[in-house]
Amino acid sequence: MEVGRLPISAALKGKLVSAGYTSLSLLSSLSPSHLARDLNISENEALDILNHAPHDGRIDTSGGHHIISGAQTAWDMLHEEELLTRITTSSVDIDNILGGGISCREVTEIGGVPGIGKTQLGIQLAVNVQLPVHCGGLGGKAIYIDTEGSFMVERVLQIAEACWDDMLANNAISQNVHAGQVGMQPKDFLENILYFRVCSYTEQIALINYLDKFISEHRDVKIVVVDSITFHFRQDFEDMALRTRLLSGMALKLMKLAKKFCLAVVLLNQVTTKYAEGSFHLTLALGDSWSHACTNRIILYWNGNERYAYIDKSPSLRSASAPYAVTARGIRNNVSNCKRIKLM
Amino acid sequence: MSEIGRRFTARRVNRKEGQRRAQESHSCCSALLVASFGKVTIVQGMASLKRLETEFPILDPDFQSFCALRGIFTVQDFLIRDLQSLVADAEQQPSSERFMQAINQVLYVIDGLHQPWLNGVDLMEDAQKNKHVLSTGCEGMDFLLRGGLRRGQVTELAGPSSSGKTQFCLLTASTVAYKHMGGVIYIDTGNSFSAKRIARFLNQISCPASEEMQPRVLQEVMNSILCHSVYDIFSMFDVLHCLESKLKYQMCRGDNDERLIIIDSISSLITPILGSSGSQGRALMVSAMSLLKKLAHEYNLAVLVTNHTVGGDGGIPKPALGESWKTLPHVRLLLSRDCGSNTYQVSLLKHPSIASGKAAKFIIND
Repeated sequence: MEVGRLPISAALKGKLVSAGYTSLSLLSSLSPSHLARDLNISENEALDILNHAPHDGRIDTSGGHHIISGAQTAWDMLHEEELLTRITTSSVDIDNILGGGISCREVTEIGGVPGIGKTQLGIQLAVNVQLPVHCGGLGGKAIYIDTEGSFMVERVLQIAEACWDDMLANNAISQNVHAGQVGMQPKDFLENILYFRVCSYTEQIALINYLDKFISEHRDVKIVVVDSITFHFRQDFEDMALRTRLLSGMALKLMKLAKKFCLAVVLLNQVTTKYAEGSFHLTLALGDSWSHACTNRIILYWNGNERYAYIDKSPSLRSASAPYAVTARGIRNNVSNCKRIKLM
Repeated sequence: MSEIGRRFTARRVNRKEGQRRAQESHSCCSALLVASFGKVTIVQGMASLKRLETEFPILDPDFQSFCALRGIFTVQDFLIRDLQSLVADAEQQPSSERFMQAINQVLYVIDGLHQPWLNGVDLMEDAQKNKHVLSTGCEGMDFLLRGGLRRGQVTELAGPSSSGKTQFCLLTASTVAYKHMGGVIYIDTGNSFSAKRIARFLNQISCPASEEMQPRVLQEVMNSILCHSVYDIFSMFDVLHCLESKLKYQMCRGDNDERLIIIDSISSLITPILGSSGSQGRALMVSAMSLLKKLAHEYNLAVLVTNHTVGGDGGIPKPALGESWKTLPHVRLLLSRDCGSNTYQVSLLKHPSIASGKAAKFIIND
């Protein structure tokens, strides 16, 4: 049953499956030359495959299995979902429509026009995840993958200081003395953000492949922010079919990371214009095939002079929108005298 | 010889045509054999003659080397090579009788591998007794499909992003678990399975007056929905093979209560492998669907898979996965959502017994 888990290339896996070797027990008594002849590959490759197959050939005792290994019942998942904490976005309105904040084990895509505050929201989440659980965070580290170069460390420090002030103020009000946690200085927030800069799509794919190993060594990472996921795939891609395959493979890997390590994955995306039904309108970049790669989608847009966040896709949340504002202290609730600056 | 001669006329393959076709389709043949034979018999179908020797001692090493000289190593080779010339050669050997018996034995093994023949009356009885429809919980969809999802058929639901595919899958899972008291296997590729939403749907179905369902009943119903997260197509094969052996065991004991398999979405598993050089991607897609159809037919399950859409001519979205996918599901539906509302529109693209082109609207409440 485990051919899929052998560390061999996908083409070899495909050949094994189409030749009928779907389980390792079938491989266990073969000689390399026999396998090579069956699959039309060289003997060295066959030897390689057989070396990877464990020789004790774990036979699956069928029968008596009431649950397929690895499956969960909906009842168990309901209880798990209730226990999952969410990461606050520092804006109460957005938290309300999200049911408490960005949830773990899900891939959330956030898209909007330039200047709406996507990077600000990404930085805010990377800071908020480090807050202790009673303040709305998860007490973990953040991985920030920057593809555009829009990560400004000074801004992160500014947001971290504002966050720390708020945390102190809240602790004073509620008289919750957690001496150890309040001892966090703003600079500690910076230390817990792991920053990667990628400059091409190959680097991006290599990094996402590497994240599995990286996160198993850094188990306290609780959020991965990718800003922005589409940048390197939008220019100079001659082979569109290859782009679709790479993107869908990348989406599956991110989903797997989110589920396996129980962390939140936030992807920031740009917008583009699309011609449909006789008019142009704005949609998220990378087309229809990418739009299925996330669990939740939030679209940020301007309504008059105010910024709004709208839930476009979610399996369990109702469609709603909420206003928010980008201030010197980070993302906050909208106060009505916050105006968009119009460049004359 | 006359005995074998009779078998040959029944199984005769035109020598040149067969060899040419066999060579062309050799790579696909294995996939087809995997698809059409049962899992236990896959071992025998691919079995080398050496392995069969332990069960049938007549296939002794002499016979094996006789066959090996003619390039026949496995049962599959037996099907492909020309049997008449093999028999003619065998007759000229010194131990021709033993060889004839061995050939007969292999043919007997092959005979045991195909499914028993059914005539129309048997099929009708099977359809009436086993292949009922499962209501989806959605009136518009049930009306369009004349009752709902039919057991034994694979239904595809395609739609653009955020058009309600996952919501429909969750609603169908809740309805089947509650109304039909059946087990549901939910294979999720995008972490979109939401147990809270299932609980809300179950509350809506059972107590429309917005009361809460009894926790014990809720627990029992939700325990019959199993969710499995897979992120590549090989894991999906693993899950389906596991499921198959479990269903076989349950069938022997007579307490089979699985009713529905949902794969949300199968297109995200197939898109990463489709279209690269070589046809491995398409072969895997076809064998996945063959396996699903086989599970649906043999164990009387309904299968629901979701697909996304890509831009077609003039910007009208069309289902993804290409031309060869279009022939695979039994029923194909195209879903769309009126912007920002809870009203969905579904149209029928393909159905074995209903005219295509029909459409229906339905509402899924929050």
